[in-house]
Amino acid sequence: MNLSIRQLFGRKPKSSSIAKQRLKLVITQDRFDVDDRVMTRLHHELAEVLAKYFEFSANSVKMDLKQEGNSYILVADFPYTKFHETNMRQ
Amino acid sequence: MGRVIVVTSGKGGVGKTTSTANLGTALALLDKTVAVVDADVGLRNLDIVMGLESRIVYTSMDVIEKQCELSKALVRDRRVDGLMLLAASQKNNKDDIQPEQMKAICDKLRTTHDFVLVDSPAGIERGFSNASAGADEAIVITTPDVSAIRDADRIIGLLQNARIEPINLVINRFSPQLVGNGSMMDQDDVLDILNIELIGVVPEDSGVINSTNRGIPLVYEDGSPGAQAYMRIARRLTGQRIPIHNFEQKGLLNNIVNWFTRKK
Ligand SMILES: Nc1ncnc2c1ncn2[C@@H]1O[C@H](COP(=O)(O)OP(=O)(O)OP(=O)(O)O)[C@@H](O)[C@H]1O
Ligand SMILES: [Mg+2]
Repeated sequence: MNLSIRQLFGRKPKSSSIAKQRLKLVITQDRFDVDDRVMTRLHHELAEVLAKYFEFSANSVKMDLKQEGNSYILVADFPYTKFHETNMRQ
Repeated sequence: MGRVIVVTSGKGGVGKTTSTANLGTALALLDKTVAVVDADVGLRNLDIVMGLESRIVYTSMDVIEKQCELSKALVRDRRVDGLMLLAASQKNNKDDIQPEQMKAICDKLRTTHDFVLVDSPAGIERGFSNASAGADEAIVITTPDVSAIRDADRIIGLLQNARIEPINLVINRFSPQLVGNGSMMDQDDVLDILNIELIGVVPEDSGVINSTNRGIPLVYEDGSPGAQAYMRIARRLTGQRIPIHNFEQKGLLNNIVNWFTRKK
């Protein structure tokens, strides 16, 4: 409201609205970076556990965080080549 | 059982110590029993801001090293009933204390006090983990500028990961004039970015520096806008429902526009 009326009068945008815009962008990026680090760690830890049971090549693994409405869904693809025999007998 | 609340921020110098001193005192003025704990080991300030520096004998470090009982290390504020300070050691540093040790102190204090307020050092390092180790709740202090808000967002993320809640926001050093002329973000802008609960707005108040100079928290001398703001926050902490004060001074044009567009 405030802003649109000021724009109507053709003034320069106030520095506070520039601040807000820049902050929104940078914070989205910050949050994503943090998530990214957590995902990398989770990726390693999951791979470590799964490697006890399956054989797979590390670069075939895909992990993705999807947002649906208010919740997140973690989708992980670990295409395996075979079970470890030892584990199957237990 | 009392509530342990960590007072924290991402960026330094935004008013954590000022807020801890004033909120602690304000809660005591509202007849609550309060322990304020300085967790800024090595850079202690809460004692001097509260005017209690000459009476510190023991610190939390002495308690941890079992040099003295916790009750003996607490300094009673003689100006109001029910307010105690636990000072931080000045000769140690943040790595000399473990988070579990801080938690043990907080857990003990909460059996004897309604509120335990922990003044955290700035940043996301060890000092922060120590200060927040024993906390159920947090108050995040920010000023309405880009760096403080960005760093506040980082701290909020860490607090959420640590399952500390509620996390309440205090916007400090708010200037109605600067908001009015468009060079400072207003509270809606800040909340839109940070997306947490606002528990109060403290205006820029020259009374703060005078009160710090003399070691008398602002809220003892009620009346200044800052003192009133801290009293309102303290009341909200005790569960009273008080609407957020609107400091904004709008120009004539804005007032007219607001009048026409106001909701009911
Ligand atoms: N509402 C206010 N109005 C005017 N000055 C203020 C206000 N709040 C804080 N200040 C001033 O800002 C400075 C920093 O305050 P304070 O020491 O409370 O910050 P802090 O977050 O504890 O800092 P640190 O991160 O170093 O521990 C002090 O000089 C204080 O007087
Ligand atoms: Mg401080």
